[in-house]
Amino acid sequence: MNHRLHPAVLLLLGNIILVTMVAQANHYLAAWQLHLWLGGLLVTPAALSARHRAGAAVVFLTGLAMDATSPVAFGTQALVLLAGHALVYTWRDRLARSEATAQAMAALTANLVTFLLLAVAESFTAPRPGGALGRLLADLVASQLVLALVAPWFCALQARLLAPAGGRDAN
Amino acid sequence: MRPQRFDQARPFLTLGIVALVWLLVPAVVKRFARASFYELQAPGEVTAAGVRQLQEFWALRTRSADDLIAAGKQTADALAFYELSARQQEQLAAENERLRALLNLPADPGWHYEQARVVRRDFSAWWQQLIIRKGTDYHIPVGAPVVYAGGVAGRVREVGAHTSVVELISSPGLRLAAVVEGDTRPVSYQGGENPAFGASRGTVEYVPLDVITLIGAPRRLLTSGLGGVFPAGLPIGTLTHAEPAPDGLFKTGEVRLDPALSELTEVTVLVPLHPEETAPPVPAP
Repeated sequence: MNHRLHPAVLLLLGNIILVTMVAQANHYLAAWQLHLWLGGLLVTPAALSARHRAGAAVVFLTGLAMDATSPVAFGTQALVLLAGHALVYTWRDRLARSEATAQAMAALTANLVTFLLLAVAESFTAPRPGGALGRLLADLVASQLVLALVAPWFCALQARLLAPAGGRDAN
Repeated sequence: MRPQRFDQARPFLTLGIVALVWLLVPAVVKRFARASFYELQAPGEVTAAGVRQLQEFWALRTRSADDLIAAGKQTADALAFYELSARQQEQLAAENERLRALLNLPADPGWHYEQARVVRRDFSAWWQQLIIRKGTDYHIPVGAPVVYAGGVAGRVREVGAHTSVVELISSPGLRLAAVVEGDTRPVSYQGGENPAFGASRGTVEYVPLDVITLIGAPRRLLTSGLGGVFPAGLPIGTLTHAEPAPDGLFKTGEVRLDPALSELTEVTVLVPLHPEETAPPVPAP
């Protein structure tokens, strides 16, 4: 009998850890009116190391968990993360997937894209769309800096979590 | 072997299909899923807040006995002051009630004060909210006003079994009726931009043209009591300046909110004693 956990479950576990940690960081950063968005990091390990369907499911569920505590239309962040996952998944054959630098670059690019997608999605419901461009820029810069710092750690953590389940899926 | 072009397009095709299917999912399913995901995460949020409290407790344990004696003395002074204030408040409330009875005015809607600790602060450019550690277990209703020592904090947007989400007055989506201190005409307040590293700001519209704000003498903005959600006279912020609107009939202005709003650790929810008399609840997004 096989007692190994499905890679998707382990990836989801890793994502939940990251979402919880980012929420705690945002709690403290609220005093400075800063908000971190690490969506790119949530999609990168799933896109680079899991099968397409499993990775997409993990990312979508992570997005739904984030949507549940945010005042956005339920599914907004889930679809934004799914778009980020699709983007990184199309690059995976052209990337040195096991290298930390490549993973970090993919996460940074995906983070920028998902942040902009969320900004566009929220601009449709915002009372003054584009009224907080300076704030958005500050949040984006802070998010990219933090992501660059934590990406190697998080990708290594996800790889460690996946190791007992047989590591990376072939396709 | 599948063509490479299809393989490249497959993730985006999946995205399109999921987005289409998601649009067709019935609202009741989405509502149920949202509530389930929210409740699943709530214990994690509360535990994290508990760990933070424990951290503070052990940090305080490292303080010297002299520090504790000084803090105790300060607390005793504050307690004496607040006891006096409470007595004055009782006298004023009795007088208010007597005058209302003399003038045959309707009774003031009563509130039950429910103190709640802040579990999490979530301040993005698009929304500003708190999660507090009380929910339906303490009969917190959706739409209930939330106050703190500095005035209005916001209103309850969503209620879970043991936690609630509070939309803050700095949130761009929150709008309420207000009055400029010393004036009785209502104006419309809305949460505004929240610049990084700065105090939150709001905006006011429909300010009468004769309301003047001078540089160095800003005027306080208070709740009007209209709409029945917030009691009248609670401070919202400070009207720093107002300029004539393009229509020339009213002024629009900027409101500076209390910086303490972004560091709240405890708030009070005003639970209406007669819920049927309050305004309808705010619909969840």
